[in-house]
Parts: sequence; C-alpha cells; structure tokens
Amino acid sequence: MRLSIALALGCALSAQAQTYDVLLKGGHVIDPKNGIDRVMDVAITGGKIARVAAGINSSEAKKTVDVAGLYVTPGLIDIHAHIYLWKEAGGEGTQADSHSFRSGVTTMVDAGSSGAKTFPDFRDRIIKHSKTRILAFLNIVGAGMGTGHEDDPAEMDAQAAAKTAKDNPDIIVGFKTAHYAGPGWESVEGAVRAGDLTGLPVMVDFGRINATRNINALFLDKLRPGDIFTHCFSGHREELLSSGKMNPAMEAGRKRGIIFDIGHGAGSFYWYVAVPAYAEHFYPDSISTDLHINSMNAGMKDMANIMSKLMSLGSSLQDVVRMSTSNPAKEIRRPQLGNLDVGADADVAVLRLDRGNFGFVDSAGAKKSGNQLLVCELTLRAGRVVWDLNGRASQDWKTFPYQKETWKK
Amino acid sequence: MEKITRFFLPAILFGAGCLFAQPQQQPYDLLLQGGHVIDAKNNLDAVRDVAIRDGKIAAVAQRIDPAQAFKVVNVNGLYVTPGLIDIHVHVYAGTGEPRSYAGDNSLYPDGYTFRVGVTTVADAGCAGWRNFEDFKQRIIDRSKTRILAFINIVGNGMRGAKFEDDLSDMQAKPTAEMALKHKGLIIGVKTAHYSGPEWTPVEQAVEAGTIANIPVMVDFGANKKERPMSELVTKKLRPGDIYTHCYSGLRDEQVDGHVNPAMFEARKRGVIFDVGHGGGSFAWRIAVPALKEGFPPDSISTDIHTGSMNSGMKDMANLMSKFLVMGQSLKDVVAESTWHPAREIKREDLGNLSLGAIADVTVLRVERGDFGYTDMYGARLKGNQRIVAELTLKDGKVVYDLNGITRPDWTTLPPGYRQSGDARWDAITPGRGGRGQTTKQ
Repeated sequence: MRLSIALALGCALSAQAQTYDVLLKGGHVIDPKNGIDRVMDVAITGGKIARVAAGINSSEAKKTVDVAGLYVTPGLIDIHAHIYLWKEAGGEGTQADSHSFRSGVTTMVDAGSSGAKTFPDFRDRIIKHSKTRILAFLNIVGAGMGTGHEDDPAEMDAQAAAKTAKDNPDIIVGFKTAHYAGPGWESVEGAVRAGDLTGLPVMVDFGRINATRNINALFLDKLRPGDIFTHCFSGHREELLSSGKMNPAMEAGRKRGIIFDIGHGAGSFYWYVAVPAYAEHFYPDSISTDLHINSMNAGMKDMANIMSKLMSLGSSLQDVVRMSTSNPAKEIRRPQLGNLDVGADADVAVLRLDRGNFGFVDSAGAKKSGNQLLVCELTLRAGRVVWDLNGRASQDWKTFPYQKETWKK
Repeated sequence: MEKITRFFLPAILFGAGCLFAQPQQQPYDLLLQGGHVIDAKNNLDAVRDVAIRDGKIAAVAQRIDPAQAFKVVNVNGLYVTPGLIDIHVHVYAGTGEPRSYAGDNSLYPDGYTFRVGVTTVADAGCAGWRNFEDFKQRIIDRSKTRILAFINIVGNGMRGAKFEDDLSDMQAKPTAEMALKHKGLIIGVKTAHYSGPEWTPVEQAVEAGTIANIPVMVDFGANKKERPMSELVTKKLRPGDIYTHCYSGLRDEQVDGHVNPAMFEARKRGVIFDVGHGGGSFAWRIAVPALKEGFPPDSISTDIHTGSMNSGMKDMANLMSKFLVMGQSLKDVVAESTWHPAREIKREDLGNLSLGAIADVTVLRVERGDFGYTDMYGARLKGNQRIVAELTLKDGKVVYDLNGITRPDWTTLPPGYRQSGDARWDAITPGRGGRGQTTKQ
C-alpha cells in the first residue's frame, strides 16, 4: 500500500520534469534542409518538433523510443499520387492512408485526379477525412483525370482552375496537365496560364509528342523555371535518344530551372533510361510514386521501394532522403514541410536500411539487382505514432498495464 | 506419365497447326521449381515442383522437367502454399458513407491482398440483402482479388449502431434468398455488433444459414448476461458456424486466466473459432495462454478495415507471423490460412494444390531477425521470425513479385524494351509493349 503511494508520488513528480511528449533516441538523423546527417535525438511536444540535439535525456520525455541503428528523417513527401476515389464506382484512385504511413509518407500530393469541377467533392469526401496530409495539383481539365475529357481543350479553363486554387490555398499547390494527345499546346498553355494567375507551379505529364510538340520546346519555350516534368525516366518522350545518350533538352531544361520528378507509376520508369541518365549524372530532383491501382502491385510498390531503386543506381541514402523530403517541399512551395525545424509539424519517418540481395522491377517487368532496401519502421504524423512495424514504441505484453488506455490513443 | 500425356498431346496437335509453335510446345505455362510445398489438404510438407497450366494446378512432383514449362521460376529456399484466404475483411468501400463499414471504414481490397499473399477474401457482413447488389457491382465485380461475402443478417448491412441494432431489419428469408441467388459468392451469413439482450440476430442468422445451407459467422457484440458466449457456442450455433474474434477477451473467452471451458466443448461440437484480429479483437494476454492450453485457432483472419490496417494487425502476413512466434509451426499457420478457411466457407476448390485446383499460389519467405508484434492495446510480443510474401499467383498468373524472382535482368533485354512478361504466366506486364509515346501511365 505504502509502496504504491510512493510509486504514484514518484510518477507525479517525474511527470513535472517531462518536457517532451516523445523522444526518438539514438537514431541517425538525416535532415537535408538543416544539413544534419549524424546521430541525434529528436524531441516532440504538442505535435511539433521541440528539439534536435545529441544526448537529450530520456527523463525529460514521457515516452522514449529507442531508434538506435535506424535513420530518422522528415516525413516523406510523395508529390505524385492518385488518391481521389470517385463517388461512383470505377477510377484508378487509391486510399491514401492505406499506402502512406507504412512506407514513411506523411504528405501525399494528388497529381491532377480532380479538376475545378470535381475538386470540391475530392476535398469534402476524401481530403477532409484522411489522416495523411493531402495536397493537390489541380487538373487543368475541369472534369479531372480519366473522365474522357482530357483531350478536350474546351474543358481547360485556366480562369476556373485559378479560382479554385485561390479558394483552396491550404490544399492546392499547383496545376497538372496530363495525357494530352495533342497535337497542340492547349493543355500545357492552359496549365501555365493558371499557374501565372496564381503564382503556382505546373506539373506536366507530357502525353503524346510529335515533331513540334517535343520536350525541347516544352522545357525551353513553354514551361517556367520551377515547373515540374514528371515521369522523367519513362523514355516515352525522347528523354533518351536512340543513340543511348540523354536528350540534351533535359540538361538544358534543368539549367533553366525545370524540375525533374520520377512519377514511377505502372509505365513510367525503365532501367534502360534511368541507368544511362545516372551514367551522365542526370539525377531526379524528386522521387514520387504515381500511386494508383495499376502501379501499386507492379514494379512501383511504394515510396520506400523507389528510394531503394535509386540507391541501386548509385544515389546515396542522403540523396534519396533529400529527393523525398526537402526537395519536393521546395518544389510545391511548402517550406514548412520536409524538415525537422524546431516548431515544424512533427511528421517523422524512421527508416531501416536492410542489406541483402534484392531485386527491383521496372515498368516492363525488367529486374535490376541491388543490395540495399529501405524499410519503414516507424511513422509519426503531427507527433503521433501512425505506423510501427515492429512495435518499437510499445512495451512488452507481460508487463503491459492492460487495464489502462494506451498512450497512443 | 498419364497426366503428362493428357496435357502434352493436345499441345502437340495445336502446335502442329501453328506457325509459331515454339511457346506452345511446353505443356506447362509456369513451373515453380524447388520450393518447399505446404498443402494441408494433401498433407504435403516437402520440397516439390509445382506446374501450372491454363490457370490450374497441372502437376506437383519431386521433379518436373523444366523443358516442359514455358516459364520456370526458381523458388528454392522459399515456401510454396495455396493462395492465402482471409475470411474476415471489410471491403465495401467507396459509397462515401462516413463511420460505416458500408463506406469509409472499408478498404479497397487489391492494395492489401496480393502483396501479402492473399488471393481470396470474404467480406464479413458489410452488406445485407438491401445493398448487396450495390456492393457486388461497385467492388466485387471490379476487383482483381477473388472476393466472397458473408451477407449481414441486417438488411442494411454494417452501417452503424442505428441499423445494426434494429431487430426489425433482421430477416432470415430475404437474406437467404439473396444468398441463394449468389450461391458460391455469398458463402455465409454474418451477425455483428448487436448491443441488445435478445438472441434475435443470432437466431435469424442461423435460420438464414439453414435455408441457404451456409455457415453463420458471429461477432457477438456487447457482452450480455442474458445471452452469454458459452450458451452461444454450445447451444445456439450449429456445427460449422464460426465464432470470430476468438482471442479478443471481450466476451469471457478467458475465465480466471484460462480458456473458457465452453469453447473446448463447442469445438468438440464442430463450432469454428476464427481470429478476426481487427483493431480491437486480439490481445496477447488472451491468445498466448489459449495456445499454451491447446486452443489454437481454426482459421486466421485479419478483420482488416481502415481502423486496423495501420495498427498492430497490419496485414495477413503479419498476423500469420504472430502465430508463428507464439510457437505454432509454419505448417499449422499455413493450414489455418488456406485449407481450413476454404473448408469453413465450403469452397473446397480453393486453398489447396490438388491437381486441377484453381492455381492461386503464394510463395512465402520466413525471415529470421528481431521482430516485434503488437496487439489491440499496443502491447508487444518479440519474436525472431517474420513471414514475407515473395510471389503471388492468381489463376496461374503473377499478380505480385516482391523481388522480381520471375523477371529477367534488364541487361538481357533489347534496347528500348517495353515488356518482358507473357500472358501465359504474367498478369502484371503481359502486354505493355509497343505503346511507344503513349499517354497513360
């Protein structure tokens, strides 16, 4: 009896000193924005990053999670996903929360699944109810993607798109043009016009090319610095010339400030493009999945798998973390995301780097071997554990206070 | 030999009349070579080759000549099992109804099945007879996963307490009629989440199950003195009916630290005990003692929904790993995830590798290392094994391949290659070639 009082008193006293809600202790922090790349502790309070430093004492935290031997990074940002599920049956969208946290992703940017006409429904039915942070590129096509209107210039109303973006500045980060069969520039020009009206970037899936509608003209004449060319290693649009060399337009576009994004998907990543690109030191600016129902179970799989793929090409762990955190945050102009600044929302991924013999598959089903695989161990969204592969934030069941509420809830 | 000739002869005849006879000369579309086969129905637990033709199991033998197969995949060191069957899922997604299993609480199935080796799921009562047709056209007919269903005894399905506690909407007759209309697809009747003291939901479900000749699966809802679990499993349910959430501990499954004796008695009667882990139905403090006392599950199922998918449950492979680290053999865990559930739902064409069976096949790897598994409360059990799905075949074709074990190395393909698979064995990239500068991803 006396013992339990003493214990309770001790708990109450120590609670006073516990400044932090959660302490991730002993992990190797990679925070590219802040130039951090070494073992450090990360403390979280009130859903925000409270402190990043070596040797933060466990007694200062209500909950300490040992992450020694693991990598602690900002929550991953996937700027090309399809997560708008239609009200009626059909479509190629996926459920964001089903795919995000288990691969370390805390922010997903929908890449033009909705347009000005359908965005209110997307926002109301999907975005509002998702635990994943969802942002969006708005399709320049009012009816949105996959609705049979993507080749109809009459659907490309830049004014309407700009108005929707201005009405939803918390969600819409840019405009998307995709799948346009041409032959003209209507969709790109419409998206750029909407971008000019709002000061937002454009993401381009370049659709079908022809003699004049090519990436040289796209990068040098049509897009603005900061606009994003997704599917950059697809090879569908002469990114790689028949000589086996990269199209000089790629490097010229990069010099102009065009952003190159992976957008892997089911049909937009081939080793025979990516390997020569790496050989010529042409690396992507950002990694993204192009997650949809046809890519999720194919060679793409998830964000951590694509990061591992790029490591098999020669990118360092630090490179792929930058391509999945601070770079995409900059591209979508959300400087508050993709870093572990003190005061930032505590979106954090804890990754494990496995060594072994792994195989990575491209969009044609061709395999490349690799010896490193990133696995997501733990994901926090706004300071809360939303994924914990091996129960690292849990305690052993034999000593677990089963009658009490868990701290996670 | 007889079997081989049976397949070989038509192939030769067809090949003779075919200009490009090469691919037709092999009698088998796909050969899984050198894996350790676990097939509970056929009491097989040994290294065997498995050959597939036309989406069916064509041969299982110690050695099958690789020259007889169009595509040979080396699965040495891995386990080859029937495609996993998860008989408790919630996949009536997309209606837009919030806080409803006929809506936002449900998942789209394909993102959670093939990547963990599951080829068949049974939805556990999201839809009742009033909305089953909508569920069918919206989800079942459009998914790649094989989807079966327990129909809810509540006509409106699993749409929340207001509907699920409404006794007037629990009618055996229309429920059974719908089940009979979709025989083989509706494989059972579900009752769930009832909070009242009456036996009506169970009685109506059993009546519907009796008319349609299918089992009943019970989530027993609130724990009520008026209708104790012991009476449910020893008196109310029929042999073959299924008690799910058996290790939740929420309904006196454990008494004074021991398995409720009624459960042993019920098992003797033929009542089935299913895991149905979910977000709130699996505790180590219940499961660990139960297994020690000789009360393993008949079937392992996930009860996957948006509330359980990212919690301690995670997915079927994680759940199977939990039983492995509690001390069950891999053979038992596989049986509880393949042949047992197939039998429970009377779909004996599934969950086995008999000759002629549907070639839903899973190739598993058992990893060794330091792993942790959490229960509904977030309590952890440590273990040194984890089951990972390497390869999944549905109807004889590859639908998931974690490390590309079926794929050629990219350097062996011609420049500008656009495909490497073939429709005889590949459902992922069977014919993406020739699209050139296309518009769709």
